[in-house]
Amino acid sequence: MSQAPVQFDSSAPLVRVRDLHTRIGGKVIFDGLSLGVPRGSITAIMGPSGTGKTTLLRHITGQMRADAGSVSVEGEDVARLSRNALFALREKIGFLFQNSALLTDFNVFENVAFPLRQHTKLPEALIRMIVLTKLQAVGLRGAARLMPSELSGGMARRVALARAIVFDPMLILYDEPFVGLDPIALNQVLRLIRTLNRTLGITSILVAHELAAIRQVADRVYLIANGKLVAQGTPDELAAEATPWTRQFFGGEADGPVPFHYPAPDYALDLGFAK
Amino acid sequence: MNAIVRRNWLLNGIAQVGECGLFFLAILAALPRSLRHFREICRQVWFVGAMSLVIVMTCGLFVGMVLALQLYYTLSIFGGTAALGTVVALSLFRELGPVVTALLFAGRAGTAVTAEIGLMRATDQIDAMEMMAVDPIAYVVAPRYLAGVLAMPLLMCLFNALGILGAHAVGVTWLGVDNGTFWGNMTSTVDLWKDIIDGVWKSLAFGGVVTLIAVFQGYNAPPTSEGVAYSTTRTVVFSSIVILALDFVMTAFLT
Repeated sequence: MSQAPVQFDSSAPLVRVRDLHTRIGGKVIFDGLSLGVPRGSITAIMGPSGTGKTTLLRHITGQMRADAGSVSVEGEDVARLSRNALFALREKIGFLFQNSALLTDFNVFENVAFPLRQHTKLPEALIRMIVLTKLQAVGLRGAARLMPSELSGGMARRVALARAIVFDPMLILYDEPFVGLDPIALNQVLRLIRTLNRTLGITSILVAHELAAIRQVADRVYLIANGKLVAQGTPDELAAEATPWTRQFFGGEADGPVPFHYPAPDYALDLGFAK
Repeated sequence: MNAIVRRNWLLNGIAQVGECGLFFLAILAALPRSLRHFREICRQVWFVGAMSLVIVMTCGLFVGMVLALQLYYTLSIFGGTAALGTVVALSLFRELGPVVTALLFAGRAGTAVTAEIGLMRATDQIDAMEMMAVDPIAYVVAPRYLAGVLAMPLLMCLFNALGILGAHAVGVTWLGVDNGTFWGNMTSTVDLWKDIIDGVWKSLAFGGVVTLIAVFQGYNAPPTSEGVAYSTTRTVVFSSIVILALDFVMTAFLT
């Protein structure tokens, strides 16, 4: 909130979504969604539950294909990449899973070392140095020998973050990074996201609900609802905007374009008071 | 209505078998790449093989002991207790060894593999590997498959060995069959190729199917606690049916 708005070159975005249409099991998830994520920015994707924010991340990583439209990363259409090219792209993308997704067989050190061991033949000493550097960055160098089951939720997420940045990616996707964190852990994760972005220039896409956190960290917010983009801008701009969507989302009103009530037959009729 | 439900059930079953076959091809395709994960393969052989030793050896001992008791009774009717060693060894090598080991293996190692892969799926670990550009079929599935196929014949050999020791304890030490007759008749009748190696073929085949069912069920388990539990049960049920059916077919062809 305090920082001055950063200007980004939006003519050549790192991630570009064009006219995306997706259905899952007959339910329309995206109905012509278009947006661009500028290089070097922290972009937050917000929207009511079930609008397919996680699905959007899966489109970006090529884990899911859209029915129509395209998602391109670095100018290349993700859906058209061969398996090898897709894997090569994924090596440049870090993904932070909501539940951290640490490999339960390995300790913290081996979890962070896992991508290095799989894709490189670096000498052990170098691997150790890289892993310890990344763990130091998330403040968990001392926890290197712990198993994932011994970590708290916040620690596990920081380890997952260390693993996501072990290859110095150009893009990090955060899927609900703040859920279930206590205020201290939340601030630590927030600081990490900002530091990674500002010092290494890593573009970040953030799917989250926490308004206060997003206002602290995001350069740009996209609000998605009903499969379309309904608002965009800096967090402060959106908070000031007075469309029904932004009012409900940023003002926290219970009823609005997103109804409080799940579709139901008439209340009186249901209770048996009317015929 | 009923006919439609039944047909869907049938179609789903056939579709499942088809998917399982495609999954098998995917595993075969990933096998060369999975050889790079040699450490992981060793870990899995330890996990499915060595960890099944206790149950397989204990059961082998008891199966051999009960076999000796029952056969001694039957053979004594005809006055043929001298053949005890031969009959026990043939039953174990040709039939009970491969089948019982496979059933035990399905219950001990198959369920563990299904539950483990199912939970890895449920906790996003499989997705995380894909995101780290690591092929989960090559890293998670193929090593477990290879380990299962390797471990099964070895476990069967131990099962047979313990079974014969058990039969010896009951037949010779307890019931008084002559020690020399027991071993002598056994070694002169049991044929390496026809009896022992046939059992190994069976065991390899069972190892292949049971582990395939286990990894398939785990990999496709719905990512919920209910889904993993259900898939684990199905591993045991399907494995048991397939083991016994395949045993009949293989016995018919091998003898």
